[in-house]
Amino acid sequence: MIELLSDKELWNWWSPAWLVVVCVVMLYSRCIGWVTVQKTAWLIAGLSIFVFAFVSPLGVLADGFLFSAHMIQHLLLLLVVPLCLVLSLPRNPAWQSGNTFTFKTGILGVLRKTVGFLVSSPKLGWLLGLGTMWFWHVPSLCSAATESQLLGFARTASFLVAGILFWWPIYAPSKAARMPASNAVVYLFSACLGCTLLGIYITFTAITVCPAFASPEERLAIMTALHDAGMTAPVDQQLGGLLMWVPPCSLYVAAIMSVFCRWYSVEDRGAVDLSVSGATEAGR
Amino acid sequence: MSESDLPSSAESAPGKAALGNLLDWISTVDHKKIGILYICTAVFFLGLGGLEALLIRVQLLFPNNDFLSADLFNQMFTMHGTTMVFLVGMPVLVGFQNYFVPLMIGARDVAFPRLNAMSYWLLPFGGILLYFSFMTGQAPDAGWFSYAPLSTKPYNLMPGQDYWIIGLICLGIGSVAASINIFVTVLQCRAPGMSLQRVPLFVWMSLMTAILTILALPALNSALAMLLIDRLLGAAFFEPARGGSAVLWQHYFWVFGHPEVYILILPAFGMISEVIPVFSRKPIYGYAFVAGSSAVIVLLSYGVWAHHMFAVGLGMGADMFFAVGTLLIALPTGLKIFNWTATMWGGAIRLTTAMMFAVAFLLEFVIGGLTGVMFAAVPIDWQLTDTYFVVGHFHYVLIGGTVFGLFSATYYWFPKMTGRMLSERLGKWQLWLWVFGLNATFLSQHVLGVMGMPRRVYTYADNPGWMALNAFAGAGAVAMAGGTLVMLLNIWVSVRKGEEAGDNPWEGFTLEWATSSPPPAENFAVIPEVASRRPVWDLDHPEVADAEREPTPADTGWRPDKLVTSAWAFVASEAVFFLLLLVAYVVFNTDVAGEIVSAAMLDVPRTAFFSVALLGSSFTLWRAERLLNSGHHAKFRLWLGLTIVLGGFFICGQAVEYYGLISSDVTIDDNLFTATFFTVTGFHGLHVIIGLLALAIVLVLALRNDRNVLGGTTLKAIGLYWHFVDVVWVAVFCIIYLGFLQ
Repeated sequence: MIELLSDKELWNWWSPAWLVVVCVVMLYSRCIGWVTVQKTAWLIAGLSIFVFAFVSPLGVLADGFLFSAHMIQHLLLLLVVPLCLVLSLPRNPAWQSGNTFTFKTGILGVLRKTVGFLVSSPKLGWLLGLGTMWFWHVPSLCSAATESQLLGFARTASFLVAGILFWWPIYAPSKAARMPASNAVVYLFSACLGCTLLGIYITFTAITVCPAFASPEERLAIMTALHDAGMTAPVDQQLGGLLMWVPPCSLYVAAIMSVFCRWYSVEDRGAVDLSVSGATEAGR
Repeated sequence: MSESDLPSSAESAPGKAALGNLLDWISTVDHKKIGILYICTAVFFLGLGGLEALLIRVQLLFPNNDFLSADLFNQMFTMHGTTMVFLVGMPVLVGFQNYFVPLMIGARDVAFPRLNAMSYWLLPFGGILLYFSFMTGQAPDAGWFSYAPLSTKPYNLMPGQDYWIIGLICLGIGSVAASINIFVTVLQCRAPGMSLQRVPLFVWMSLMTAILTILALPALNSALAMLLIDRLLGAAFFEPARGGSAVLWQHYFWVFGHPEVYILILPAFGMISEVIPVFSRKPIYGYAFVAGSSAVIVLLSYGVWAHHMFAVGLGMGADMFFAVGTLLIALPTGLKIFNWTATMWGGAIRLTTAMMFAVAFLLEFVIGGLTGVMFAAVPIDWQLTDTYFVVGHFHYVLIGGTVFGLFSATYYWFPKMTGRMLSERLGKWQLWLWVFGLNATFLSQHVLGVMGMPRRVYTYADNPGWMALNAFAGAGAVAMAGGTLVMLLNIWVSVRKGEEAGDNPWEGFTLEWATSSPPPAENFAVIPEVASRRPVWDLDHPEVADAEREPTPADTGWRPDKLVTSAWAFVASEAVFFLLLLVAYVVFNTDVAGEIVSAAMLDVPRTAFFSVALLGSSFTLWRAERLLNSGHHAKFRLWLGLTIVLGGFFICGQAVEYYGLISSDVTIDDNLFTATFFTVTGFHGLHVIIGLLALAIVLVLALRNDRNVLGGTTLKAIGLYWHFVDVVWVAVFCIIYLGFLQ
């Protein structure tokens, strides 16, 4: 198995992911700038994981061979990479202080406002964050996106955008854009519930969620080894469902812990209004 | 209020007052009296549950004993488990919460005093239903978790099982109502200055427990409803022979059952988090961690239920993930032990009985916790499952944890409740009897479990060492019974002749010590200013006040609306109920490949037409709310009336559909599709009817110009429920009629 892993076919060195990385780095240095080592580290982490998700054997296996690999890729792109990207934004970047920064064209300014409005809506963030998970696992869509490269791109883009919108109300660089702690807890807990339901469904259902993976047109050498080790299509799907269920929930719980830390700290003003929002959240 | 204004403590002691004015106790809505009622009822059932435990021990005293028949033995362990969990553990904890949460947050009462009384009275009602089963010839005997198919009709013909189900539904409804009450009380009734970051940890744990109960109990209720439908109406949800799934029962039961463990332990965590700091003369070490980690426990507890099912054969993948989850949840629980230990570290410890029980809690709970972590390793679980090792493990958690926490709290708070101190000497007797009893009984059971003695089997062969260990376990049980009698004697004597306690005998830190003992009906004459987590300490020691030394996030003064918050909590609970019913629908109708299902049997366009009416009613209610807010009362009544008409129209539609189906001989016991269809739509219809009744009451009140309706948030709260019922219908329609997820 170790020999097979080192097989070159398992590494996709010419993935277009690199192109995206170059674009993001250029955009970041142009619009945001290199502020602190910590922020840069988050950016590097996010982009490295992004590249890993496509270039490594994970990316190759996710491309129509292993449902569980697809699921890991899915989670990295929807949850981990966007989280790193959001955390890589500095507290007061040039483009947030408005007046001091002007783009050459006004169009971008309008765009910024619109995006800002959309991004700051927790309901939209929640719906998109959860919606993309569910949407791309409708059997026909899941197969189609795996088989068609164009749809695959669209799916990746939707993961990244939805992921950023999802994390924004929790970790937005400016404190004003963040939700009150109690709402944030409900937001994350309900998201956990959402992915739990989908995870349970994928784990236990008799339906093949992504037919493209159950009967792939071609097989990599490693697939035989995996199959012999017990990784049949149903096991693969069960593993995928469990991946959809447990790791995201663990991530959400970790985020909830960070929200609690924020809430209990006296310095943080946002923390002080918890009791205010307590009620709104109360029943949610 | 001066001392002389207060009733003397002897007069208001529960025993005498109860005799003096029985009606007063029966009709009370005072949270303190209801708290005492809860506790007394729980003690009564503790007697019954304890007696059952003793009978079990007597039966197991010798190999091949026939003191109890196999049948009776099954009934005994079933009733013992059910009683201890539902009629002792939960009620006694709710009783303490009832009594002390309002006092600790500086409130006059709970948010909904009458609902509180209803919640309490459902407890004896449920308890009587459960115990009435003995009169029917056979008490329930399928274990406290009533695994299917043992609990289904073919294997369990006697009505005892039905009483078990109905009793538990009663108790479940009461628990959810009580929890909604506590939840709203903590959020809404806090004294000025008491931000949620400053509430005493017992209050915080009560809040967490309430959330757990609100979201976990409906899982049990939905499973119970399905089991009852199986048994009474002939459906086959849990009968594998007819296509049902016995494993589904296990899933549903443990989705409730695992959070239930935390429902029983979190309040005890809260209790010792009050006791240890007071008797160590220090604030709790790491308040934020203790509180925050409990919230994490709440979240994680819903994700580890399948570790009770490792032996079922869920597949290696599932076992692995649940094993990891189980290890994870041990972290926030286990780390708290360090918080409590660190609180004692360097403190001026006073080893009162309350404190000694708290220390015993730490020691014994660690044993129960560690054996629990052992079960996270799947192979160990496979080896030990269904042996006495498991019994030993969870009794260490529930006795070493919950019961010791409760005893600690009893000695700590008894002076507040009665104005008299409990005898410390008798307290120490009780402590050592229980410590000996717990370890004698359940340590032996650990050994017996490893030796392979199966649980729930009425007798055993004369294997080497088994009889000695069982006899030792029996001696432990007798010691625990003796300890309980000592406690009752202590209470009996102390209520009458105990030393006068005064307002704050322990120099406690939290608000309940700022009022008289026992507290007056309105709790506080003046509520002290709250500026920290230890307001009474601040008052007594202004020179080293926490408010100065350890600033905490201040209170903004904002409080949520009572009715709307309670409506949200109720809706959340109901959502879980419907979610699980819908999951059952999807589970049972996926394999069938949709042949007999929806398309053939149901008139989708007709139902769609009626559905539009229901969805329309959401719109009309929204209009009504807006008109009410803008003061157009006449138009508001009109739109409200229209809402009722549309809702009624929908119900008529459902009646037509049911009539059509039933007259063409399609009934709930036909197959799994009809069973799930009638269950889901039936419960939804029931909710619509309840909503219609509520709206009709609101309309009548509005026509009488009732100020609460016209000026308050009543309509908003009921509206929330109504919109929820509509949202559920959208899900029902998509899944059942349009075939989503199949």
